[in-house]
Amino acid sequence: MPEIARTDESPRATGTAAPARRVEREGAHLAGLIWTLVRTDFKTRYHGTIGGFLWALLKPVTMFFVLYAVFSFVFASNPAYKLNLIIGLFLYEFFGEATKTGLLSLRAKGFLLTKARFPRWVLVVTSSSNAVITLALFSAAFVFVLLVQGHALRPATVALYAWYQVQYLGIVTGFSLAASVLFMRFRDLNQIWEVVIHAGFFVAPIIYPLDILPERLHIYLYLWPPTPVMMFSRAVLVDGAIPSLAAHVYLAAETLVIVGVGMLVYRLASARIAEYV
Amino acid sequence: MPATPLIEVRNVSKRFRIPSVRRETVREHVLDLFRPRPSETLQVLDSVSFELRRGETLGLMGRNGGGKSTLLKVITGIYPPDGGTIVRRAGITPILELGVGWNPDLDAIDNIDLLGCVMGLSLGELRAATDEILEFAGLERFAKLELRYYSSGMASRLAYAVAFRAVREVLILDEIFAVGDAGFRERCQDRFQALRAAGHTLLLVSHEPHTIERFCERALLLEGGRIVMDDDAGAVADAYMRLLTEGAGPAAGGEGHA
Repeated sequence: MPEIARTDESPRATGTAAPARRVEREGAHLAGLIWTLVRTDFKTRYHGTIGGFLWALLKPVTMFFVLYAVFSFVFASNPAYKLNLIIGLFLYEFFGEATKTGLLSLRAKGFLLTKARFPRWVLVVTSSSNAVITLALFSAAFVFVLLVQGHALRPATVALYAWYQVQYLGIVTGFSLAASVLFMRFRDLNQIWEVVIHAGFFVAPIIYPLDILPERLHIYLYLWPPTPVMMFSRAVLVDGAIPSLAAHVYLAAETLVIVGVGMLVYRLASARIAEYV
Repeated sequence: MPATPLIEVRNVSKRFRIPSVRRETVREHVLDLFRPRPSETLQVLDSVSFELRRGETLGLMGRNGGGKSTLLKVITGIYPPDGGTIVRRAGITPILELGVGWNPDLDAIDNIDLLGCVMGLSLGELRAATDEILEFAGLERFAKLELRYYSSGMASRLAYAVAFRAVREVLILDEIFAVGDAGFRERCQDRFQALRAAGHTLLLVSHEPHTIERFCERALLLEGGRIVMDDDAGAVADAYMRLLTEGAGPAAGGEGHA
């Protein structure tokens, strides 16, 4: 077995640069790379649409108010269901969009992979930026409407909602890390994932209340990552209830497992991705 | 005592497995799980060893398919080697395949940011250098034009201009002087000479013997994935010409991959 070793004694800065200066420079470089990828993704996505950037910002808020108006009419007798449905739809939309762009991220930016050596995981992590912006705007609009309606939102429940979304983003990122490198080798993964996303829409309790199913099935539904995030988000925002400690531990553990597996798969499979461009 | 080399390549090997039938989807892998799939192993680099010393300009010559592009990607860290050791003691800026690969929906300035960041420039450095990059490429008038409307020559000039601005201690160039019109090539050569004068270490790949003789002190000749000559640039350029005129069959076939 031949020896395989690559030693990088000074990958970025000049050989005489002090370590602190090198770290500072690499940090600035990484921050610049992340910001540029987020900015150019945003610009690319909304280029050519009416209203451009303004529309990009207005779209999720507009969608929210359209759904809110329609559901207020259709489900007038059940306001809690209306709010739960809107939360479910938006959170699942985020999951579907972010995981699909994450899966495609390395191939979509394949032209950069053969240009230079740089932290390629940045391409994956930043791929969900548009979906995150949409989710943030939706969340702001939703909280605003709840406050206008007189819901007694407490800072703690809003903070918990934000924490669930951070974990949701972790789940999406973990999935994207693994899926993006595998997609370089298996080019139909996006089609398979598309089917899973469609099927998963009915696994997650978006259009039906979880209570209509036997309790013994709940655990299986909770294995589908959007389910706990959705249920806990509804609990804190709509019901004003804080899920149990065990529920929080479960979500944190699920997030850690997905992030861990994603990082592991990425680490094992990413070294040769430039050869698949 | 000789100075420590900035890059040491020791017994580096690289091979690609070329299957008779490519399976690129989950469906193909599942359906053909038990079907034998013969494959051929292409040894693109075979125990390649050399050193790049601080401040020198090293040439690399070889026929198409000899493994030059793969070697550059392995040195740069874009491809991992299958065997051997690469020691890098300085930052490397590669100028490889720069004519292709832009975001066609973005204008030149945004693409400069994208490529510049990937090549190691900070946003501050890019802000300060954007005008200079556009001027070097001769594209000031098209700064706000989306790359989809650029010709391949314009896109290449822009890429080289970014890369020349992003230079770290070691610069690796693949056929740099074959891009653009005479004016642009002259600017590239002037910049190249300025980098040499400033003490940068350079690795230059070219098929042009006079380019290697003019710019390099020492050169390597890569043939069939092996370094068959490591000598004075003029001697290597002559040997390369002899190889072309008297040479046997094609080389191993490393270039063009990826």
